[in-house]
Amino acid sequence: MITLTHYLLVSAALFSIGIYVVLSKQNAIQVLIGIEMMLNAAILNLVAFGKFDKINNAGQTFALFAIVLAAASTAVALAIILNVYRRHQTIDPGKINQLKD
Amino acid sequence: MIAATSHIDSPTVTYALAAVGLPLLAAIINLLLPQRLGKLAGWISTGIILLSAVLAAIVFGRVWNHGQLHMQQLWFTIGNTAVNAGILLNNLSVFMLLLVTVIALPVHLYSTAYIKPEEQNRYYTYLSFFCFSMLALVVVDSMIMLYAFWELVGFSSYLLIGFWFTRDSAVQANKKAFIMNRIGDIGLLSAIIILFAQYHTFDLVQLFGPNGLVFKSVIQNGMWIASTGQMPQVWQYVAFAGIFLAVAAKSAQFPLHTWLPDAMEGPTSVSALIHAATMVAAGVFLLGRVYSMFNQAELNVLAIVGCFTAFLAATIALTQNDLKRILAYSTISQLGYMIMAMGINAYASSLFHLATHAFFKCLLFLCAGVIIHEIHHVKEEHQLNIDPQDINNMGGLRKKMPITFVATLIGCLALVGLPFTSGYLSKDGILIQAFEWAEGKPAWYKIIPVSIFITSGVTAFYVARLIFKVFFGEFKLKAMFPNLNLHISDGSWSFRIPLIFLSLCSLFPLFSFNPFSYEHAWLFNGFKPENYLDGESIYHLIIPVSISVLSLLIAFWAFAVYIRQRKLVLSESNLLFKLSYNQWYIDAFYKNVIVKAVLLLSKALYWFDRTIIDGLIQVLQQLTLFLSGLAAWADRYLVDGFLNLITLLVKGIGNFFRGFQSGRVQYYLFSMLAAVLAVFIIKLLI
Repeated sequence: MITLTHYLLVSAALFSIGIYVVLSKQNAIQVLIGIEMMLNAAILNLVAFGKFDKINNAGQTFALFAIVLAAASTAVALAIILNVYRRHQTIDPGKINQLKD
Repeated sequence: MIAATSHIDSPTVTYALAAVGLPLLAAIINLLLPQRLGKLAGWISTGIILLSAVLAAIVFGRVWNHGQLHMQQLWFTIGNTAVNAGILLNNLSVFMLLLVTVIALPVHLYSTAYIKPEEQNRYYTYLSFFCFSMLALVVVDSMIMLYAFWELVGFSSYLLIGFWFTRDSAVQANKKAFIMNRIGDIGLLSAIIILFAQYHTFDLVQLFGPNGLVFKSVIQNGMWIASTGQMPQVWQYVAFAGIFLAVAAKSAQFPLHTWLPDAMEGPTSVSALIHAATMVAAGVFLLGRVYSMFNQAELNVLAIVGCFTAFLAATIALTQNDLKRILAYSTISQLGYMIMAMGINAYASSLFHLATHAFFKCLLFLCAGVIIHEIHHVKEEHQLNIDPQDINNMGGLRKKMPITFVATLIGCLALVGLPFTSGYLSKDGILIQAFEWAEGKPAWYKIIPVSIFITSGVTAFYVARLIFKVFFGEFKLKAMFPNLNLHISDGSWSFRIPLIFLSLCSLFPLFSFNPFSYEHAWLFNGFKPENYLDGESIYHLIIPVSISVLSLLIAFWAFAVYIRQRKLVLSESNLLFKLSYNQWYIDAFYKNVIVKAVLLLSKALYWFDRTIIDGLIQVLQQLTLFLSGLAAWADRYLVDGFLNLITLLVKGIGNFFRGFQSGRVQYYLFSMLAAVLAVFIIKLLI
């Protein structure tokens, strides 16, 4: 049977893949996808732990809110990427280094 | 303060001042005139010198034989000594005033044609300044001002001798003239200082006037005693030596005569002025001014030096080939006559000869100028490589330039001293007085009149040689270059008028109505002392006759030599010829002994300066450099090194931390991850 441990292993794998994607990809959109993976790993954990909560379905509901917020933040991030592209003609985060002094 | 000793006559003084000052005005105007108006400069100067001559004539008419006119004003005071500036007009100064302006006038006129228009501006500035210096020299009344103008005469002659300053020889000549004159100036200055130390005044009237301080001073027991003080006798002789040196330098007497022949490098018109009235006359004039200070021994020195110079210069003139050089040596010779005349108490004759010589020597130089001008034209036109002044290139010019020929002939006759010329009056006067002077003295005194008599004969020969070589016989250039197209003439009226004017002045009527007796000459009578005895000695008859006969014989001899081509003179290898041709080796002696010694000394001093003085400085410099090098090293490596170390440290740390700020988001994320992992790992380990 599928136990909590299996959920947590999937979630951890998903998070690790997300971190790898975020750190290694040379395209801001892919980085964004990586971020979404990590977020979804966290939501997966939330839902998995929600089974042991006293209140029913509170975890799922909270996860829904988190997904909505993620979508909103992704929209903002896409808008930023668009502007970055207009400005630098690239969306490779390695090439955009104007944050340094 | 105005003091006039005999009578106050201010218009006369004003005229005299104007006559002196006008040439200075002309010099200033010409200096300011733009160069393209060169022609105008000539006429301005000529007009002004004419005005000066007229004023000088008026002054002369009023003062001559009417006592002296002396006016002065306080100039400045040093301690208790008041130095006055003023003018002193007596027979001597008005005579010089008139002589200088009258000689300068034809020279000015002549120069308008002789000097190129583009050079006239500069030329007339110098010339007018020269005239001003000389005119001021003759009228001033104090030794200080006399010295000042004495220097200015030397300086302006320096400018004029070196007028063509692009020629090296002209520069050498004017340097030589200037240095020689400086030697004389030192003499004059020391004489002035000694006289001031003895008499406490610079005033010429107080010093040398009748019953003046010099007149009253006596030499007793080896002391030189004046009413104002006393000093050892030797100083009187030192003062005389100073005056003599000054006279010898300005009037070109042995041993300082060598500048005058070299001064021929200047324009011929300048030579005429220098030789006639302005430069060389200053020495004789100075002798006239300070005449009363000489004692018998000193007068003898003057007589001997004058006589020797006259003889020396005459013998040199015998063999020279340069037309102007012959005339230059004849000037030195004639100046020797004047100095000698001063020495034998023939004061009046000396000044009389100065006047007559001024006219005929000016005339001769202007004639030489015309001849050289014409030969120079031939040279330019045909591009010949000849010396236009060499008399060996001339000959037969009498038909081509009749006026110049006659003028030169008159000048030469006056120079020889043949009857009916002015030279006869003055020169024979000197000769007669020389014989009278030697009368009743020990036998060796006779050497002077005899040698001056011989000199007259020598003069006759070189003058005859000059005339025959230039004006008679064949034109040598024509013989050398047969296809020459010659048009030689007397030149323009600017040349002819001065020649005619000066020729007339070189004849006897200007000076005396009796052509045979110098004692009837008004100029002579104006200067002769009160106690002059009209000589009735036998010499008055013998000397003029014998000298005239001798001169004519010698001229005939010269005619035989140069026209008939008989060998009657010394060959060119003869020792005496060489001695004369090389100017008695005096120049060579100066060059090899004095100039070399001076150069050696200056080289030694140069070496001393270079090696010792500069060496010391260099050692100091090395030391300073070493010390400052040390300081620089310490500064650079110790002080700066410490600071550099600190900055390096700070920079390293800064760079290390800066490295983190790469600006790339993923790096930041990675470091964050690493940090979190590190925290976890540490947590596990502890």
